Amino acid sequence: MTKQKTLILLFLLSINHSFSQDDLLNELKSETKTDSSYELPAFKAVQIGNLQSTKIAGKGDFFFIVAHRFAPFSDGIDNFFGLDDANTKIQFVYSFWDGVQFSLSRDSYEKTYSGAAKFSIKKQSSTFPINIVAYASSDIETQSKTSDFPTLEFKDRVSITAQILASRRINKNLSLLIAPTFVRQNNLQQYIQTNDSNLNRFIVGIGGRMKISKRMSINADYGLNLNRHEDSIYKDPFTIGFDIETGGHVFQLVFTNSRASNDSGFLTRTRGDWFNDVAFGFNIVRVF
Amino acid sequence: MKSLFIILLFLSQNIFCQKYYTRTGNTEFKASVDAFEPVEAENKSTTVILNTENGEIASLLLIKAFRFRLALMQEHFNENYMDSDEHPKATFAGKIHDFNMDEIVSEKEYKITGILNIRGINKKITTSAKIIKTGDQIFLKSNFSVKPQDFNIKIPSIVRNKIAKSVIITIDYELSEKK
Repeated sequence: MTKQKTLILLFLLSINHSFSQDDLLNELKSETKTDSSYELPAFKAVQIGNLQSTKIAGKGDFFFIVAHRFAPFSDGIDNFFGLDDANTKIQFVYSFWDGVQFSLSRDSYEKTYSGAAKFSIKKQSSTFPINIVAYASSDIETQSKTSDFPTLEFKDRVSITAQILASRRINKNLSLLIAPTFVRQNNLQQYIQTNDSNLNRFIVGIGGRMKISKRMSINADYGLNLNRHEDSIYKDPFTIGFDIETGGHVFQLVFTNSRASNDSGFLTRTRGDWFNDVAFGFNIVRVF
Repeated sequence: MKSLFIILLFLSQNIFCQKYYTRTGNTEFKASVDAFEPVEAENKSTTVILNTENGEIASLLLIKAFRFRLALMQEHFNENYMDSDEHPKATFAGKIHDFNMDEIVSEKEYKITGILNIRGINKKITTSAKIIKTGDQIFLKSNFSVKPQDFNIKIPSIVRNKIAKSVIITIDYELSEKK
């Protein structure tokens, strides 16, 4: 009988022990079925350098972006290596709903006003390999004067860009992006200057980001023009950049052959030669 | 003898299965500094389990489920501070001292000790909690503070004065009997 009692006592003790804190925790862990994995975003800023990234402002996020593009370094000391001339773009980005962002901007390059919208279609996750985003922008150039171009109509000032942006965060440090792009270039000035009648342009944008520390990365983007006229004076845009992010700011330092930073401008109308006409620029993103 | 064990097993299961539980516990933290943007977030999907027989308590939450006012701040939090891809969960396992179901018909304050695990790092926490049973539910409220460096969270110098040295964690759980 005493043996039996001891057994029962031991039994009770063992049960008591089996409900210790760790077991409570294990019970919770086994009941937490929701996907606990966190997918790192592919890009931190809405642009890689000049090219759009798959980053979309979160609902209620308000970004204020100031972009400068200076003149080429090749201007030399007389122009302080290009810093005497600057195109400034001021841009506001806002998101009313999750996965949708709108933006308005004004670029001093050809006094261009732009409106753009960006929509998230699919996000990279454990079940889907890439981020897919749709992007469209329209740029309205207001520099041309009817006194210079008597037949100028409003539609001649409007150029449209449509892009599908597909990106993948390959690993913790490397993200890549490809952007099939269509640009309808209606700009009258450009038509007269180049005799390039090919106003429907197809471009493949490619870009990437390599993180070099938690808050710094090296970025690059390139726009491969597929059907530019062979006598065109324009070149493919190429941008190398360096991002520094702090809490509410992202500083993007860029080196580019493009003077425009609006989409149709830099994608189809970059004049600079990458070796001789590289210019410094920056985008400062401030979040409110 | 064998049947006695089986009966005992059932009995003991019953006795030791007095558990209260929630999946929608509210956990908040505040690391705000006056005059700067508020750095605070709320997690409304904390799971908590309480063994009312012995006062043992455990909770678990997903770091990515903390909601900030600014989406970008949330992204920074997950990517740069918490490394949520590597450490998706935070847990607590501890004990409410001298817990007694009969005492909590009116609000009573208890001492809680236990181990908080964030980013895979354990830290011993001692705090007090106000507990009351109303109807079928047990309400548990508490707060305590932790330091980011306790969990090897590095704050870069550029934002150091915008993030509080000590982070206040506030919990508010409504537990129902686990069937």
